[in-house]
Amino acid sequence: MKYVDEFRDAELGRALAGEILASVDPDRHYKLMEVCGGHTHSIYKYGIDDLLPDNVELVHGPGCPVCVIPMGRVDDGIALAREPGVILTCFGDMMRVPGSDGTFLDAKASGCDIRMVYSPLDALRIAKENPDRTVVFFAIGFETTAPSTALTLKRAKAEGVPNFLCMCSHVTIVPPLRALLESPDLRLDGFIGPGHVSTIVGVRPFEFIPADYGRPLVTAGFEPLDILHSIRMILAQLGEGRCEVENQYTRVVPYEGNVAALRVMSEVFELRPHFEWRGLGFISQSALKLSPAYAELDAELRYEVPGVRVADPKACQCGEVLKGVIKPWECKVFGTACTPEHAIGTCMVSPEGACAAYYNYGRYARTRGEEATVA
Amino acid sequence: MPGECHDDHCITCGDVAEPMRVLRIDSERELALCADGVGSRHTVEIALVQPVAVDDELLVHAGTAIA
Repeated sequence: MKYVDEFRDAELGRALAGEILASVDPDRHYKLMEVCGGHTHSIYKYGIDDLLPDNVELVHGPGCPVCVIPMGRVDDGIALAREPGVILTCFGDMMRVPGSDGTFLDAKASGCDIRMVYSPLDALRIAKENPDRTVVFFAIGFETTAPSTALTLKRAKAEGVPNFLCMCSHVTIVPPLRALLESPDLRLDGFIGPGHVSTIVGVRPFEFIPADYGRPLVTAGFEPLDILHSIRMILAQLGEGRCEVENQYTRVVPYEGNVAALRVMSEVFELRPHFEWRGLGFISQSALKLSPAYAELDAELRYEVPGVRVADPKACQCGEVLKGVIKPWECKVFGTACTPEHAIGTCMVSPEGACAAYYNYGRYARTRGEEATVA
Repeated sequence: MPGECHDDHCITCGDVAEPMRVLRIDSERELALCADGVGSRHTVEIALVQPVAVDDELLVHAGTAIA
């Protein structure tokens, strides 16, 4: 397929790996964070870390939309689903995120009407097909997904669909990155920037990273050559003493982002003062809620949701994994009590989660050299 | 099929976008019928990437073309 096959070329991949090997200082350790869960998935799917020198370490950031949803928010969704006449709709992986009393799938099994949708537009269609029911779309995701929700809410309002509501848990990427950079227990040399979030917000919002924290960031695509190329670009900056934001994913990401998407988001959403992130705690102005103009479509205003904060299970170390402080296999329950089939932590739920990526691609052992696939 | 996740992951929950080709356009409603890599057809919001023409390649996330 155009724009895909040419970015999986093995010859070019080997050449890039050779350039990376030639560009590193053997006496230095490089710790790079890929912000986006989609990158984490690609890195292990294509074995990219095996092409890197031992002193180039990839750590995994908080950019997995499912992984950062706290347990209390899942409980709130289930409480809404238990309201008479409500159909709760959500994306696929969200169905398996554990709350304090089970997942959406468990609630569905106990009689709640919870349906998986591919897009917010599908949720709106369900509302039109069921005018005697109230359809709540449980919206999650970063700036990549928020415009889609915003467009659907705008469409619902324009078409006058009174039984369509939204419970908004959209989050934004810059505040958690700033929180990570302020964290004393994480020393990073550079960032692989999120590709599709940048399609919407552009690359300008990341300029604070080199300016305020002295770390380079390269926005990258999701194919193997994209990721290798972005690592090569970061290492080149470090080798040359440069520190700036660069854009590897130029075929998709404009410098200013998608202006139409930013406009519709600012019309439909406003920032929440605080929002709880799984494992990261409360981060100021890091999530979106519906603006006053769309209050009539806000499920949290129509229904009373518990809004209780639920502590993560003690055994679960998703917070440390999301901050890149530990590798997934360093968590006590990784691959034993916590597996994709029975996830305790959110990082094991979504394949974009670091734990699931390690588990699904056989990264069970303790060091890269000792890693082995377990059948 | 609506609600079905392809490949080995949920492309909507992840920040993954899928290349699709435009088959038909409903300009008034700003929607397009698009085909993904395996030929499955999807209704896609095109308000963010106008103007769009038949046979254009779009990058689609959560039912919305983002590039």
